Amino acid sequence: MLKHPKRLAGMAGLAASLLLSAACGAGAGAPADIDLGSGPAKSGTIKKDALSGLNMTFVSYGGAYQEGQQKAAVDPFAQESGAKILQDGPTDYAKIKAQVDSSNVTWDVIDSDSIWAEAQCGKLLQPLDYSIIDKSKVPEGLATQCSVPAMQYGMVLVYNKNKFGANPPTGWKDFFDTAKFPGKRGISGNPGDSAPGPFEGALIADGVAPDKLYPLDVDRATKKLQSIRPNLVFWKTGAESQQLLESGEVDMAMMWSGRAYAAVKNGAPYEVTFDQWMPIMDSLAVPKNAKNPKASMALINYYLGAQQQAKLTELTSYSPINTDAKPNLDAKAQSFLTTRPDAAQKALKIDSKWWAEHQTEMIEKWSAWLGG
Amino acid sequence: MASTLQAVSLPTTTGREAGDRRPALLLLPALVVLAVFFLFPLISMVVSAFTDPAPGLGNFTWFFGEPQNLRVLGRTFTTGLWVTVVALVVSYPYAYAMTIAGPRARAVLTLLVLLPFWTSLMVRTFAWVILLQDTGVVNGALQAIGLGPFNLIRTQTGVVIGMVQLLMPFMVLPLYAVMSGIDRRLLTAAGSLGAHPVKAFAKVYVPLSLPGVSAGCLTVFISALGFYVTPALLGSPTDALISQQIFTQVNGLLKWGRGGAMGVVLLGLTLAMIALLALTLRRTGKKVTG
Repeated sequence: MLKHPKRLAGMAGLAASLLLSAACGAGAGAPADIDLGSGPAKSGTIKKDALSGLNMTFVSYGGAYQEGQQKAAVDPFAQESGAKILQDGPTDYAKIKAQVDSSNVTWDVIDSDSIWAEAQCGKLLQPLDYSIIDKSKVPEGLATQCSVPAMQYGMVLVYNKNKFGANPPTGWKDFFDTAKFPGKRGISGNPGDSAPGPFEGALIADGVAPDKLYPLDVDRATKKLQSIRPNLVFWKTGAESQQLLESGEVDMAMMWSGRAYAAVKNGAPYEVTFDQWMPIMDSLAVPKNAKNPKASMALINYYLGAQQQAKLTELTSYSPINTDAKPNLDAKAQSFLTTRPDAAQKALKIDSKWWAEHQTEMIEKWSAWLGG
Repeated sequence: MASTLQAVSLPTTTGREAGDRRPALLLLPALVVLAVFFLFPLISMVVSAFTDPAPGLGNFTWFFGEPQNLRVLGRTFTTGLWVTVVALVVSYPYAYAMTIAGPRARAVLTLLVLLPFWTSLMVRTFAWVILLQDTGVVNGALQAIGLGPFNLIRTQTGVVIGMVQLLMPFMVLPLYAVMSGIDRRLLTAAGSLGAHPVKAFAKVYVPLSLPGVSAGCLTVFISALGFYVTPALLGSPTDALISQQIFTQVNGLLKWGRGGAMGVVLLGLTLAMIALLALTLRRTGKKVTG
């Protein structure tokens, strides 16, 4: 028997109103009036206390990477500008869509895949203001209308040096040659993310000239991939690819250079080759209808500074975007940098514009093939 | 035994005072939470399935027009079926042992079933990754006795093993609840009438335990249909279940209408299967009791 029905009803009502206010709260206010100072923008700088009292949210993929970003750029920026910056993550594209669709954008700067950012320019992301962002130290062509690179890494070929050390594979043709190089291969297998890597590798192995890769002949690529499918081990996350090396489950892998470095640093007996490696970047971008776009641009500009980029590289092993950045690294970490001139020369040219235009179609074909 | 569905369906209200609606207020907090966090998202999912990007049945014609989707849907149901069957085979003797064990052993057995509830599903799934990988503990043990190595991780077998362990409590507990209410003297009676112990068990005990079996199987099967993390971590993309396919549509492609349509199809099929099961159980239940 209930003794205090009224009190209970009151509590339920309170719970309901709390829920409702949580759902409707955090309404969009008018953008704050921000004075970023005069003169041309210089990357890595922010006018002292320009964003005093402002709340911002920086979004990335968590783990050692986001921690590095926080220490190298975001926290120092918060300190100098006076803004209070929260970290959030991972960069969930569906959440960005939900925020933009409902006009309640709580993420100010996001770290995302660069091709996705290019594809979403004008849709979920807004154009960047290059009067606030200084891109003079970013390599030509990498800063696009809606995004700048956050760092660079690459899809590289790694191999077990105990097994293939005497006669190492040199490029994707060898990766697909299971007669000459028997054993299992790790390869990216995330159905929601196809770019770039497996298709390009397969086409190169099938004899397509590097400068004739685009438009990608997906049917030819999947046919080639199918031919070595029994030898393929699919990794769905970077952590999983690293685990495949550390447990020795694969003899070769097509994987991200940062994860390969982490595994090698932990003692996995693998060697990286930069033959025909594919450059990949994360990008920084600003969602459409972000509350204080000027503040977002200012954070991006600060992030691109030479000092910030050098520190980011030292903390994460990803390669710096600022051409003046001089990270202090040991020889092993140095050998995994994709921005070294001798590595840069060997890169395949990835057509990110083509990828951005065909991303949806590519993901559909990729996930269909993966689901077999 | 009134109905074999006793364990599944809500007990009929008996002690309610006529005209006194106040106890209904007790449901209010739960209803508010359900309405805000379950009903509203569910309705918006259904709406988006029919309206995003354009009003009509476009998302459904897409779903049924792609052979890939139907394969994944079929795989989701067969995986769910496998998980249910294996979980039942493992849990039935376990629950039976719980009913005949002494108080202390029973406490230990119960603890072992409940223990997994105190660790997160994610952690347990990662534990299975460590156990099942090619160079993992299970293969190491098998090789020590001269077997294997078997390819367990990134296969459907690995997915089923992981899911069975995660869902076993939902099979054991309803089984035990029903079994502990079965009067074991009925077995003695059957024996005194000349039945072989095996026959007595099969003809007397098993039918009486069926309500627990159906409740457990239903819970496990339905939970298995919606699993995401475990098949994603223990399976290869080739073993993807429909929840992963939905994730790709919603998160990778931002096609929420398609994701919604897949959700609606899964929900519809699940409800249809429950209805079918309830119907057959009621029939067989009548045969057993009548």
